[in-house]
Amino acid sequence: MTTPDSQQSLEDEIADLERRLQDARSRLNAEDVPVAPSTLTSEAALHALLLLADSALPLGSFAFSSGLESYLAHHKPSPPFASQLPSFNVFLRLSLSTLASTALPYVLAGYRSPADIETLDNDFDASTPCTVARRASIAQGRALLTVWERSYQTQYSPTATDNASRDDSFPQESGAAEALTSFSTALRKSDLINAHLAPLWGLVTRVLDVPLRAAAYLFLFSHARTVVSAAVRASVMGPYQAQAVLASTELQDRIRGLVEEGWEREVEDAGQSVPVMDLWVGRHEKLYSRIFNS
Amino acid sequence: MSFTSPFAASTAKAGYGTIELAVLPPDTPVLRNVSYQYPLKLVAPDPLPPPERKPNSNAPRLVHTVFLLTYGGGIVAGDAINLSVSLEDRTRLVLLTQGSTKIFKTPDPILISRQHMEVKLAAGAALVYLPDPVQPFAQTAFSQSQIYHVDGEQSSLCACDWVTSGRSARGENWDIHEYKSRNEVWTSDQAGKKRLLLRDNLILDKHGRTGMQLSERMDGYSVFGTLILRGPVFASLAQYFMDEFEALPRIGGRDWGDSAQLELSPKEQRRVQRQAREKTDGLDWSAANVRGFVLVKFASREVEGSRNFLRDMITDEGSVAASFGERALLCLK
Repeated sequence: MTTPDSQQSLEDEIADLERRLQDARSRLNAEDVPVAPSTLTSEAALHALLLLADSALPLGSFAFSSGLESYLAHHKPSPPFASQLPSFNVFLRLSLSTLASTALPYVLAGYRSPADIETLDNDFDASTPCTVARRASIAQGRALLTVWERSYQTQYSPTATDNASRDDSFPQESGAAEALTSFSTALRKSDLINAHLAPLWGLVTRVLDVPLRAAAYLFLFSHARTVVSAAVRASVMGPYQAQAVLASTELQDRIRGLVEEGWEREVEDAGQSVPVMDLWVGRHEKLYSRIFNS
Repeated sequence: MSFTSPFAASTAKAGYGTIELAVLPPDTPVLRNVSYQYPLKLVAPDPLPPPERKPNSNAPRLVHTVFLLTYGGGIVAGDAINLSVSLEDRTRLVLLTQGSTKIFKTPDPILISRQHMEVKLAAGAALVYLPDPVQPFAQTAFSQSQIYHVDGEQSSLCACDWVTSGRSARGENWDIHEYKSRNEVWTSDQAGKKRLLLRDNLILDKHGRTGMQLSERMDGYSVFGTLILRGPVFASLAQYFMDEFEALPRIGGRDWGDSAQLELSPKEQRRVQRQAREKTDGLDWSAANVRGFVLVKFASREVEGSRNFLRDMITDEGSVAASFGERALLCLK
């Protein structure tokens, strides 16, 4: 009585159920050993993460829409009063995808190899072929460096943290802080150094002892938050809708997936996955009226 | 008794090619070496003198042209092409294709066709690389890289890299498995330490967690391209792109009628015509001046839109045709 089609769908269903059973079993076994990858190792790391996640962190991110403003100008709703929410949702997905393919490898590399920070900064600058995006990245990177110098350095420099309570899982911890300090000194002397946000984000989170996965997740989340907040100010959505977008499991899964996908990607293979994004961001300068810097 | 061949052993490998442009003293540029192996084919017509050459200028007496061809007019799954080009001081080369580079269907997405080009530009050398677009058919996997090594500020480069959505007449619309194109410009300091000046890397594949088809990600565009301009030979062209970008009408601005001029200069007339054409062709572009380069990004609904744009801009400005000849623009006709 069964047609080949329903036979196929039954087989698919069985395979799916088996996979879920296996999945649930493995989770049951894993619960004995708490080694979930994004677990924060200590309260100190949680504290640092909260500092960086605070919207009061003076990076000036609110001034940038990362191309949203230009995108909306290129996609006028067909009756002018129609909601721009559907096209915003598309933009947020594309924007996160772009950030993960272009900047995330530099966050990871900045964290993993602090000594290479100058090369990473140069290569990121060479890979950002757009005045507007470059300006936004440098402004926030320099702001992050200033926050480090004026606010965090005294707490997190090697001498201040020389106590036993710290988790000693990163033996070159002092190396990272030194790399950061010498980078900020070099920034004043050389005009070849730009201080882009992505590699510095990696390095600063390393010095602050935030686990890498959390640092990468927060990097993408902060971007989503900035874009959503820009959407509120561009009258695309209300503040409650904005919180709903940020709280959604869809966004969580997307960010987690992007971190997973980019985990092994080398900086040499960073690149633009949404080519039209370069146009939207680059043409921001051509907007008749602007409320954002990018 | 063994026989020793009087000729050097062939070291050529499949798909490998070499172009060496050198100067025969006192001042004659010559193609010292043009070699290639199947499936790559290089054709070098006779060099031509540049249409305009000021006496006592640094410009060479002859401009060489080389066509990059592949047997069968395209790249079959698994093909690998590897071209190395070197230009000595005071030489000029035009690299062209004959028709779009077609990428044929692959039986397996992990079987990637590759094309790699490594170009060494001495100080004072200039390269024009204005090929036809790459046209990856449905179900193809292709990866190409163009790596340029320049020597200081005096190496000049004008390179275009553009890709289309496939055979639009057959309804193909970015139905590819994977397409990657990488353009890099490197330099070395006195100590020999390499420094990256520019990296333009396009990655179209299934990654990115967008949950969208590649065609949706492209926002209705069928062509994407990048034009890289650098060095003294292309300085005026680069400036022209920046000026024209500055002169584009503002997005969302309104024409109140008070800015219209009665008498337009010929230059302004051409600008108005070009902008009208950009609008009908659905062409959008941007230009940025970063790190000593001018980078132009463009996209259009159809191939012809981008071709019109590039041809109009480069022809209106005029310096490429004047110092390299009309032939340099062959792929934009």
